[in-house]
Amino acid sequence: MDSVEDIEQRIARAGRSFAEVKAEMARRIVGHEALIEQVFIALVCGGHCLLEGVPGLGKTLMVRSLGEILSLSFSRVQFTPDLMPADITGTNLLADDPSGRKIFEFQRGPIFANIVLADEINRATPKTQSALLEAMQEASVTVGGKGHHLESPFMVLATQNPLEMEGTYPLPEAQVDRFFFKLLLEYPGREELSRIADLTTAAPPGALREILDGAAILEIRSWVREVPLAETVKDYAVRLILATHAGPETDGSGVEIARRFVLYGSSPRGLQSLILAAKARALLSGRPNVSFEDIRSVVTPSLRHRVILNLEADAEGISPEKILAEVVRQVPEVS
Amino acid sequence: MDADRAALETRLSRLLGWEKRKRCEAILTVALFYALLGALAVPLLVSVSRGWAWVAPVAIFILLTPCLYLARRWRDRDTARALAALDRALHLDERATTAWEFLRRNETQAVALLVLRQASDRLKNLDARALFPRSWGWRGWLLAPLALLWLGMLYFDPRFEPQGAGPGQPPSLSQNLREFARRLQEKAQREGLPRTLEAARELERIAQRGMAAGTTDEQIRSELAGIKKKLAAERNAAGKGAFGPADSRQQLEDLRAEVEAARELLKQADGEAWQDRLSGLKQIEKQLDRQGLSARALNRGEMQAFLDKLEQAVAGELDRRSLQETEQFLQQLMQRGQGLQRDARGRPDGNREEDGPDDGKREAGPGATAGEEPGTNTGKAQPLPDVKGGLRTQVKGSIGEGERSGIFFKGKPAPGTSGLSQDEVIASYRRQAEAELNTEKIPEQLKDTIKNYFLSLEKAQ
Repeated sequence: MDSVEDIEQRIARAGRSFAEVKAEMARRIVGHEALIEQVFIALVCGGHCLLEGVPGLGKTLMVRSLGEILSLSFSRVQFTPDLMPADITGTNLLADDPSGRKIFEFQRGPIFANIVLADEINRATPKTQSALLEAMQEASVTVGGKGHHLESPFMVLATQNPLEMEGTYPLPEAQVDRFFFKLLLEYPGREELSRIADLTTAAPPGALREILDGAAILEIRSWVREVPLAETVKDYAVRLILATHAGPETDGSGVEIARRFVLYGSSPRGLQSLILAAKARALLSGRPNVSFEDIRSVVTPSLRHRVILNLEADAEGISPEKILAEVVRQVPEVS
Repeated sequence: MDADRAALETRLSRLLGWEKRKRCEAILTVALFYALLGALAVPLLVSVSRGWAWVAPVAIFILLTPCLYLARRWRDRDTARALAALDRALHLDERATTAWEFLRRNETQAVALLVLRQASDRLKNLDARALFPRSWGWRGWLLAPLALLWLGMLYFDPRFEPQGAGPGQPPSLSQNLREFARRLQEKAQREGLPRTLEAARELERIAQRGMAAGTTDEQIRSELAGIKKKLAAERNAAGKGAFGPADSRQQLEDLRAEVEAARELLKQADGEAWQDRLSGLKQIEKQLDRQGLSARALNRGEMQAFLDKLEQAVAGELDRRSLQETEQFLQQLMQRGQGLQRDARGRPDGNREEDGPDDGKREAGPGATAGEEPGTNTGKAQPLPDVKGGLRTQVKGSIGEGERSGIFFKGKPAPGTSGLSQDEVIASYRRQAEAELNTEKIPEQLKDTIKNYFLSLEKAQ
């Protein structure tokens, strides 16, 4: 049984590791501090992220850098319309065994890595998308009737380009719901652009230091689930989820803007994501318990892809972020 | 660790206790606020006496307080709110909230103990009263002004009846006496009656003293008996004077007016013209005849002396009669109190059919309505009459409408011819009506109606 001092040491270690990761990432990535934090939170919660941003904002660089720092294996798959599921999962190839007999040998696909960057996931056909999504959900793939477990920790970072919608296959809501976070990459500001120019046009920086390994990530992942959550704070999270709904399930706690513009509110998976992410944030901040602020700070990345808006919202240019901001503003901490 | 746990529990319990106390105070403040509002509104809706004015706020307070306690009773969510406020105020990141739940569940896991220890460390110097001081709110700040306003109304607003009389109760002896004394003072000042004025002041002093000290009617009656004797002695000491019972008050007042007029004539008229004009003043001529004198036989100086003497005599006589009336009123007042006592002792059901009302007031009921057939009083407010120029208009009214004042005498009319002429009666009533018209007692819209009524009487003559 752990002692109080053990718990204190764990919390301190988790916080210190995260601070070091951030500092190391800052050597290569300019800005995006919140994004890095959210990706790390998703990693220690065992979730996957959907990244949305225009090309050239450093999505691939960020994911690759994270792989280096965490000494995890990294693979990148460029999704195209002709990409087949086997191109991701791997396939059985005919090969000779030492006795000269012909046998099928499983050739692992790029999915067999700790961190997988699925670039422009919406360009692949739904068949290929679902193969990836199955791997995300089950942490295993089935090829030729035989199941293959994926290495742990396993994390998919899928990207979408919001500009080019021609010839794409948008992910269905049910599949989007499987992503722990949906993160938006914003265009860098003037100072950040200037720093990017300095960083990328001068001599390349040295290799990144390895800070955590897979085992340490898994250890932190287990600690996250032990972070206590007060009933009052949990009730706040539940009321936030209910407030994103437009129908009678809101239990009278609905918000006017949600009633008007939301077609479907967040799923229960949204609540799981919200609470788990809040616990991770508390742990990485060096606290033994979850606060209201922890919940509030992860509402947008956890729920923005789980709130489905109606046509009126489209017509009026209402975004899920605006709905969620209003929900956070209107729902009181204690009912 | 157990000591830390106990200390934390004590501190948080103290905080919650303080919050509960503030809630109670807030409920009492709200109840008091609405009680005072109600107290201010009550006199606008119904007529109450000062004695009963306390009842409305107390009743509202007593009824409202349990309802508010029920509606705003302390619940679990209030505890959660109080702890969340503590976390916010001290930037505890919900450590207090989580710790309280662990304390309630008696958690012993290491992580729970860590939360309890951290919360205990951060709340070591918790002073709930300093951190969350009382906040009175706008209702609390309005309490004192409302209370002052109400007390001010209680003592200065005429809508409150005098102290001692409850709704439906007849006024006490002291109250009646004070009302009478005030009216008597006004009359004495207006007519220049020094002894009456002095007596009226004395009576008001007795009434005020009786009301302030809560003196019983019996004690007041004994004092009144003393005053009555004193008045009788004064009246006897003043003597009968030059006027007898045949000289009506109206005649005396007319005589006084003629004396004033005669003085003016003496000042203004030249030569012997004043003697011709003086002959038009009937009452003075009557007095000259009574003393065997003639205006033509007197010179200006002698006439002046005669008028001075006459004026003194008239004033003295009016003063004497006023004292006599006062004596009669006091006599009735004393009898009335005894009559009421007899009624209370002998007939608790209040059946007063045989004797009629002892205080001379007409009772509400069949036949009490002026201008209506007996028994047709509907009790409804009557519209203003449609007054047409040159036509007689009957002003309908009923006893019980609005404020009224007056002295009522009970007695049976004596058979025989009246000693007063119709002209004198109408002139007297007209003067009274004109005097009343100049006061605020008559509603503005009815003043013309009253004026037209007396004008129509003159035209009819």
